[in-house]
Amino acid sequence: MDLLVIALILAGLYMAWNIGANDLANAMGTSVGTGALSLKQVIIIAGVFEFLGAVFFGERVTSTIAKGIVPIDVIGSIHPDIVAIGMLAAILAAGFWVTLTTFYNLPVSTSHSIVGSVLGFGLIAAYNGTIALSDIHWGELTKIVASWFISPALGAVVAYLTFSVIRKLFLHRAKDLPLVERKFISLQLITACYMAFAHGSNDVANAVGPLAAALRVMGVTGLEVPIWVLVMGGLGMVIGMATWGYKVVETIGSKITELTPTRGFSAEFATASVVLLHSYSSLPISTTHTLVGSVIGVGLAGGIAAVDLRVIWRIVSSWIATVPIAALTSALIFVGLEVIFL
Amino acid sequence: MKDYIRSVLDVVGESPFVPLEAHAKKGVLAVEKLAEAMEAYCAGNQAVLEERTIEIDKLEHDADKLKQKIRAGIPSSVKLPVDKKDLLSFLKQQDSIADFAQAAAYWMNLRPCKTLPEEIKNGFLELMGASLKTTRLYDELAGELYKLLATSFSKEEVKETMTIIPEVEKLEHDVDVLETALLKRIFENEEAIGGAGVCHLIGLVERIGGVADKSASSADRLRTMILKR
Repeated sequence: MDLLVIALILAGLYMAWNIGANDLANAMGTSVGTGALSLKQVIIIAGVFEFLGAVFFGERVTSTIAKGIVPIDVIGSIHPDIVAIGMLAAILAAGFWVTLTTFYNLPVSTSHSIVGSVLGFGLIAAYNGTIALSDIHWGELTKIVASWFISPALGAVVAYLTFSVIRKLFLHRAKDLPLVERKFISLQLITACYMAFAHGSNDVANAVGPLAAALRVMGVTGLEVPIWVLVMGGLGMVIGMATWGYKVVETIGSKITELTPTRGFSAEFATASVVLLHSYSSLPISTTHTLVGSVIGVGLAGGIAAVDLRVIWRIVSSWIATVPIAALTSALIFVGLEVIFL
Repeated sequence: MKDYIRSVLDVVGESPFVPLEAHAKKGVLAVEKLAEAMEAYCAGNQAVLEERTIEIDKLEHDADKLKQKIRAGIPSSVKLPVDKKDLLSFLKQQDSIADFAQAAAYWMNLRPCKTLPEEIKNGFLELMGASLKTTRLYDELAGELYKLLATSFSKEEVKETMTIIPEVEKLEHDVDVLETALLKRIFENEEAIGGAGVCHLIGLVERIGGVADKSASSADRLRTMILKR
């Protein structure tokens, strides 16, 4: 096999591991915090449903990352290796940025990173004259960036409504409040599965999108994203969850004990629904940011004793920083790799 | 170990209502100790009185620390289901319960009860009992906060809480009546007690009554906080 493809697989696996270890763990942490599920249960659920989501519903977003932003077919018809190198540069840049921000506990989204770094490749290709600047799918890119604003807001709205309904139907009529909360524990089992499935369907693209693009232009695969690529991404994320993510789940779970099952259910249901909707619309969004929106929604509905809005500014600044940094790093790595391979 | 996490779940802040309830408990416990101190005072047991005073002092200090913690825990970025100003003014009243218990205990230590007539002693024990009763009911009320939050302020729960508040206020009124009656008896016995003694006892009546006063005004602020939400 081509050295570039092997490098892409390895980098993709690293990215998948990272996503599993952090983002999946973030998404699942709410179920542990409420005491709904044990750590072991969460890992099993996360593993199974993340994998299913990635394999059976991950293709759309993966296609977006692979060919929705940069016209890889045009570049590929000139020289397939440029695409392979560009995609390798993109995933390395995203992986590097995500690792760095994990080190400094910054809430950076892997989706934003990969979109930024793929864009960086597109820009350097335009700079080199391989494509015209207008060949980059700016319309699609605008839609993606808009979805980064819409998804947390939508999460907030759905969670607000969900919790308001629960409040009216169950909490306000409760004769035995602890019993109501206990009943929601079993419902949380379902939303945890839903959450993992939704996450897998959207985030697998961040790991294997670049690989899918390279395989396509090199003629290894057809127009469809091959299933083994999605399986590989799914496995990588599950391994990340099992080897490192459980620690993250534990830490988060111990910090958000304020989130009772009714609140946790509302936030999870809203997040998973919004994420799945975006997977269906082929838009790569941040599950974690959507979850924050949802938690704020539950808070605004009066469900949480204290909502700290400081996190919004941390998220917004991470948005502003991520795309240009990932794009620039990706372009620089591309220039370096170009010298080696071409 | 450093957490290698990119998490945003600190959006769920620490609830100020948990320490708020603990803060109420400190105040009530201080009043419980004050009642014991009062018995020791009337029995002329200086050793127990001093012991209780130290305990009350510690409880008041603990309450102060909790108050600081609550205040520090609600910067402008934190959103609560109630008005922050209401919460703070409620906290201030609640904090005064322990303050008054402490002041009363200090006051007892200033001047031993040597030649107090029995009826005055009994009057003080009765007044203390009524004050303690008010504070205990207030404690029950503060315990309702948890349920209010858990049900996200259900109408039923708000109604239940609202029925306790007038009861606290009624008990506080009983204390006022006892205060006046006791003051009257103190002046009737002014020959036996002496001028300085009368002065001291008036101060003690005020402080013990203050405990009930503050319990009632905390209850009142709690009402404002819940209803204005």
